[in-house]
Amino acid sequence: QRVGLGATSKPAAPVANMGIDPANPKEYTIAEVTVSGTQFLDPNSMVSISGLKPGDKIRVPGPAVTSSIKKMMDFGTLDDVEILATKVEGEKIWLNIHIKERPRLYSATFSGIRKGERETMNDKVKLIKGRVITPTMIKNTQLIIKKYYMDKGFYNTKVKVLQIPDSSRGQATLNFTINKGKKVKIEKIDIEGNTEISDRTLKRKLKGTKQKMLGRLFNPSKYIPKKYDEDKEKLIAYYRKNGYRDATIEYDTVKNNGETISIKMKVDEGKKYYYRNITWTGNYLYTSKYLGERLGVKKGDVYDPEELDKKIQGIPGGDVSSIYMDDGYLYFRIDPTEKAVVGDSIDIEMRMFEGKQATINRILLNGNTKTSDRVVLRELFTLPGQKFSKTEIINTQRQLSQMGYFDPEKIQIQPIPNQNDGTVDIEYTVEEKPSDQIELSGGWGGYIGFVGTLGLVFNNFSIKNIPNRETWKPLPSGDGQKLSVRFQANGKQYQTYSLGFSEPWLGGKKPINFGVSFQRTVYRQTDYNSLYGYGTGGSSSGIQYRGGYFNNGVTVSLGRRLKEPDRYLVLTHSLSYNRYRLDSINIFGGAYNTGVSNNVSFNTTISRNTLSDNQFPRSGSNISLSATFTPPYSAFRKSDYSDAAEKYRWVEYHKYMFDASYYATITGKLVLSARTHMGYLGSYSNKAGFSPFGRFVLGGSGLAGQGAFSLADQDIIGLRGYQDQQVGPLLNGRPADGGGIAYNKYVMELRYPVSLNPQATIFILGFAEGGNNWGTYQKFNPFDLKRSAGVGARIFMPAFGLLGIDWAYGFDALDGQTQRSGPQFHFTIGQQIR
Amino acid sequence: CGKFSKLQKTGTDQQKYDAAMTYYKKGDFYKAGILFEELIPILKGSTESELSQFYYAYTQYQQGLYNTSQFLFKKFYDTYARSDFAQEAYYMHAYSLYKDSAPFNLDQTSTFTAISALQDFINTYPDSPFREECTRFILELRDKLELKAYEKAKLYHKISDFNMSSLKSAVISIENFKKDFPDSPYNEELAFLKVDAQYGLASNSLNYTLEQLLTQKERYQDVIKFYQQMIDKYPEGKYGKDAEKMYASSQTELANIIKIEEKNRKLKEDKVDPGKKPTKLTAPTTAKSDTQ
Repeated sequence: QRVGLGATSKPAAPVANMGIDPANPKEYTIAEVTVSGTQFLDPNSMVSISGLKPGDKIRVPGPAVTSSIKKMMDFGTLDDVEILATKVEGEKIWLNIHIKERPRLYSATFSGIRKGERETMNDKVKLIKGRVITPTMIKNTQLIIKKYYMDKGFYNTKVKVLQIPDSSRGQATLNFTINKGKKVKIEKIDIEGNTEISDRTLKRKLKGTKQKMLGRLFNPSKYIPKKYDEDKEKLIAYYRKNGYRDATIEYDTVKNNGETISIKMKVDEGKKYYYRNITWTGNYLYTSKYLGERLGVKKGDVYDPEELDKKIQGIPGGDVSSIYMDDGYLYFRIDPTEKAVVGDSIDIEMRMFEGKQATINRILLNGNTKTSDRVVLRELFTLPGQKFSKTEIINTQRQLSQMGYFDPEKIQIQPIPNQNDGTVDIEYTVEEKPSDQIELSGGWGGYIGFVGTLGLVFNNFSIKNIPNRETWKPLPSGDGQKLSVRFQANGKQYQTYSLGFSEPWLGGKKPINFGVSFQRTVYRQTDYNSLYGYGTGGSSSGIQYRGGYFNNGVTVSLGRRLKEPDRYLVLTHSLSYNRYRLDSINIFGGAYNTGVSNNVSFNTTISRNTLSDNQFPRSGSNISLSATFTPPYSAFRKSDYSDAAEKYRWVEYHKYMFDASYYATITGKLVLSARTHMGYLGSYSNKAGFSPFGRFVLGGSGLAGQGAFSLADQDIIGLRGYQDQQVGPLLNGRPADGGGIAYNKYVMELRYPVSLNPQATIFILGFAEGGNNWGTYQKFNPFDLKRSAGVGARIFMPAFGLLGIDWAYGFDALDGQTQRSGPQFHFTIGQQIR
Repeated sequence: CGKFSKLQKTGTDQQKYDAAMTYYKKGDFYKAGILFEELIPILKGSTESELSQFYYAYTQYQQGLYNTSQFLFKKFYDTYARSDFAQEAYYMHAYSLYKDSAPFNLDQTSTFTAISALQDFINTYPDSPFREECTRFILELRDKLELKAYEKAKLYHKISDFNMSSLKSAVISIENFKKDFPDSPYNEELAFLKVDAQYGLASNSLNYTLEQLLTQKERYQDVIKFYQQMIDKYPEGKYGKDAEKMYASSQTELANIIKIEEKNRKLKEDKVDPGKKPTKLTAPTTAKSDTQ
């Protein structure tokens, strides 16, 4: 007698009725459990999985048997399970589990497609060898393949499956024969019934469904059902946007002609509507007049529900709802209702519910698996006790993305209202992203020695956690401190070392940024001629040292966030000491080539940063103004400066820099970036003149290093379309006197993101820029610019930082040349500030 | 290592299984883990399968991969609920979760999961010898949550130098803490910080207009209320002296405010000339900044 449920395809084995009455369940004690039908599986473990044990009491028929069968089927390798009572003696029952095994997948093969595609298919279908073959698995795989090709425009793809069993091993091979046919193009799109809006405009709205046409290169014609459905909605949305509130697609047909399809659709445009009267009800706090002005919709405007909705709750701070939502009215609702439709005019009634004000009670933070609570909580603009404010929540969201520890695309904010006590909890859910950067490159070149870079930046470091081994991920992290180490060498010739540390909240009470950094640069001028025996009478004596430049420096800085006039302002003071030793090296092109110079400088920078995020800002601006001073030694030094080494023993200058950048989303994902940069170097007295230290060097990628390293406190600034460091006064191909004393630069850039994945943020850009660099104030003219335009791409990967490539065309000739600079390629590593 | 990779490439399932067991017994959990991982899908349904899965979970646990081991132990428990190792697996699942629980200053999802797993274990096996341990772990994890809430409540007090309005946040989060952890030993210190925060809020309150003065008065009254709540609960407390000073000062300020209000009321009553300008209020304390 059959007591369980299995696949019921075949009748139960005929066993004599042993007194089990299906209608009257009775309790039995299991005497024995046997297993039959196993081929490769172990009978004992089958019993173990079934959960039936000799000695157990079970009800027959009853849930125990059913759940056993379910458990075994869930195990997944079985095609069929039956539990049968083989014998019943009084209270005792003998059970047999009969199973039918399913074959396992030996391999999956694909035919009808190219080899490369086969590999892609293998990744797509994710069939794991050794898995049990089930009908669901086959069906799903077929669908995955079909969908994959349909999404690529192969509308008529057919997938056949052949299961080739290998009975000796209980395995089977699945062969998928794919006949994808030709890409299905759209022969013709026929739109009927449109009288107000042209076919051309409507077809343009079908963004993913394009008619076959010669020369359609960027958006080839193909038919993808999913896209077509989206496009139909877009078409109707377009009508609605233009006042055609009743527009519908009456019917549409997709005719399959084999290699092509044709689409026919009939639209019913309906009438074009306009606003008539807008009335407000339920408003007690603000007058209808005030709300109407805020809404900004006038009588006679084209009726556009989408736009209306945006004006009600769109831009934070500018829409109707934010006057309530920023003042705690969390339960505020506004419901625009069409009150009357007369001819082509529509009366709108704004039904409002103002509700009660809600105060923030708790701030909850989830998902910070690396960054300490306090590092995040101290930065939030929403505080317990404040009135709920939508704008502050959006500001907080920006702040969270700006910190750089979390994936900006995945920040979630959830207000949890508690209606009964008039409070609201705000829950922030974040997802950590890697914020450290490691840069490693290197090689060994015979006489030259080590060539390469070792750079480490830890943006979320924690000094406190150093002794706490278990918090190392892979280094002590979570306190928002920054540690950077960098070593770069070009053999013995050129080396830089730097070490920096900063803590954003010194003491933990106030956002006072404390930073300290050390740097060392060594540059040795060497003579390779001797290496190959030129000019030394044929004897090779290795690389000969001819002179050098050595710089050691230390900088300590303290930055403070200001509250007035707004909270985005940061004021930073820093004090630096640099010691330069020149050993018969001519880097200034003047008389000074041997000596020791000391530079003590004080810098004050005020900056305001409202960028939406750092990787790919879509809105906001960043403005910074800085002034640097050294003590005016010339005022109390008596020497006549005839000796250059004496003259430059103490470096003196004052310097002002201004940088501003502005970002705005133009449409969709396209972002406009406008930047301006300028810098001026001044001298304290005519006697001392302009310092050769601290000058500006303009042109090219703006990259320090790469053989174009920064010497003598220079500011290296890029100008695409021109060669590195070549804009401005030159002497023997190098910046004269160490560089210019005034520079200007203006940039306009359009950026488009290809991928915003934090593992690899990629965007492409087109730009036009201009700039110049002057050696004297007499020649300074902010309108005399070297102009260029070009295109480029940037990729940001957490481990490498930002990498960029640009192609630019320089329209002007460099000073002293007659030919325009022409096309140039530039490579950049790291974020360029200027 | 050559021997190991040779075994991996050419060894039979049985050889691999034996080797995995040997590596496990020798304490080489990494190699044992790799072998078990390979074997499990192949062995599915065989006698060795049960043990392999159990030991595999242990190899992960021994390597400190608690998140993997908790999952594997749970999977084992779900598959072989009648196994002799079932109880141990369930316990190890909960214990792995306990070990995996994040430090207090990070996301506590893992701590909540661990607490409920430990509680489930106690409920499923009330007579288990591990019961006492589990109860202890639960208390330990609750202490962690308490510490987190305490640090959070204190944070708003700490950063109030920069942002005065976080004093109000401090008062609210201290009240929330008391609601969530009424028996916590931290409550004494927090009760003092609450008085301190409220006093800071009151004394930095603007008081140029009558309305502002009223707000300040209410704030001082709250200082007195919070102080009284504190000394009623902790009469011998170590923060008593410092709080008392704030209490005394609040009373003086309150008296001043009441005096001003009296004067103002009289002026209004005595007002004969309707064109006379209202008397300017004098501030009893100098305000640093607005707290609203």
